Amino acid sequence: MSEWLHSIPLYWAEVIGVLLFLAVIVFAWLMPREFVFGDALDQAGWRDLRIWATLICLIQIGLYLIFN
Amino acid sequence: MHLGTAATVDVVIVIVYMLVILGIGTYFGKYVKTAKDFFLAGRMLPWWIIGFSIIGTNIGSYDYMGAAGNAYRVGITQANYEWIGAIPAMIISALIFIPFYWRAGVYTVPEFLGRRYNAAVRLIMALIWGVVLICFLGIFLYAAGLLLNSFLGWNVMWGIIIVAVIMGIYTVAGGLTAVVYTDLIQFCVMMIGSISIMVAGFIKVGGVSGLMAKLGEYNPQHLKLFLPLDNPDWPWLGMIFGLALVLSPAWWCCHQSIIQRTLGARSEWDAKAGMMLATFPKTLFAFFILLPGFFILLLSLPQGLANPDQALPEAIKALLPVGLTGLMFAAIIAAIQSTVDSTLNSLSTIWTRDIYQRFIVRKAADRHYLAFGRWLTVIFLVGGILFAPMTKMFPGIYLAMQYILSVFQGPTFAIMLLGILFRRVNQWGGLFGLVIGVLSAMIMLALDVGFLYTAWWSFVIAVVVNLLVSFLTKPDPIEKLTNLVYGLTARPMKGEANV
Repeated sequence: MSEWLHSIPLYWAEVIGVLLFLAVIVFAWLMPREFVFGDALDQAGWRDLRIWATLICLIQIGLYLIFN
Repeated sequence: MHLGTAATVDVVIVIVYMLVILGIGTYFGKYVKTAKDFFLAGRMLPWWIIGFSIIGTNIGSYDYMGAAGNAYRVGITQANYEWIGAIPAMIISALIFIPFYWRAGVYTVPEFLGRRYNAAVRLIMALIWGVVLICFLGIFLYAAGLLLNSFLGWNVMWGIIIVAVIMGIYTVAGGLTAVVYTDLIQFCVMMIGSISIMVAGFIKVGGVSGLMAKLGEYNPQHLKLFLPLDNPDWPWLGMIFGLALVLSPAWWCCHQSIIQRTLGARSEWDAKAGMMLATFPKTLFAFFILLPGFFILLLSLPQGLANPDQALPEAIKALLPVGLTGLMFAAIIAAIQSTVDSTLNSLSTIWTRDIYQRFIVRKAADRHYLAFGRWLTVIFLVGGILFAPMTKMFPGIYLAMQYILSVFQGPTFAIMLLGILFRRVNQWGGLFGLVIGVLSAMIMLALDVGFLYTAWWSFVIAVVVNLLVSFLTKPDPIEKLTNLVYGLTARPMKGEANV
């Protein structure tokens, strides 16, 4: 098991890391709209927290691609 | 920065900063009339102040000093603690956990677990957090004393007392409101100080391209976020499974000091948006706390530093002129204070709500609990001052605290996650999952499994035990689970969701 793990190339770490952020984006967009807005005063676009989540995850993916 | 070498102007900047914080923090005392005002800021906090307060609470002196030292030693892999080891968990916390806490109207994370499972789970969690936070308080205060000693030449004990008294006055007076508003100022001071050293450093090393080229030339590994599995401290598998999937969600979804400001939000959306906002400065701060380590690494070549943990003080000495040096030290003191005041407030909240009010004096007037919370804050502060110097007798105590955290973080996150997602999970599953998960983590640590892997496996064990016991015993009644489990929530009315 340990030998097999050590044989995994290091770039798979980056792939898994990027996939994790992509999964978070998908998860955010699977949340029902009314659950995301909750009791917000209005449903203006900037209050959509799924957009915030997507933006920060894309920034993170960029960082993980730069420092690979 | 050595004993007593600070210029007068730098000393004045630090003292002015402390007095401003004291004045502003104490001002909020006039808004505290009830226990809810004291522990939850009257549930009036807007999203933007919650976001900055979360970062102020999260970034402590150990981030500044330790991260710069680790950046010097191993490179940018340290940033995983701020990025993959924080951001996904913060988003999950905002979108899944915080809405349930807020709708339940609880004051603490153990209180939520108590409602979802039973009083035994609440008591165990309250005792664990209550004791761990006391230890953290002492460690943080000692760090503050050491810092003032190295910068101003003050006696360590006097430094501890001065920082503690300043924080104590405004935390006792203004409770969570004072804590979050001073966190905002402390966040701004941290930003200004960090940007100063970043600009000065880039000028010295030839900008971003100069830094990247020189670091790559020195050691390409320093620019890699993931390190091979044979690395003893930061193997990539442990980083992803132990840190990103267990320790980090446990911290961001279940840590009382972090969650408490979201419980004080004026609406559910503000609570979620506050946590979401914090992801942006969290990403940025990785650069602020790592770059001084890189700068001093390049500037000290070829001989290097004898002690990498001195990377930040050495970088300040090498890069910043008089005036800005004081600002940078004010930033580090701000980082300490913003963490310690939150710890103090959370300690008082947990011991008042989850232990005193739940098990000792159940039906007293609101003013009684307000007064008790304030007295408790004073008592913990005095205890922290007395405990602080003792931490020097245990040089590895901070590392030991990381190990202690890994003992219960995995099981805590496991029962919280299952409790929120699945209605079939019941009180006995939660109790046994927590206890057996914690015991298994203790055994793994004794067997030297390593804290990242311990966190992961204790999480898995707690999940399995929780599910197994739940399916073998009777389900909890649906009415007990309303507003606590996914699929059993009512949409909150604006500003009226709290119990």
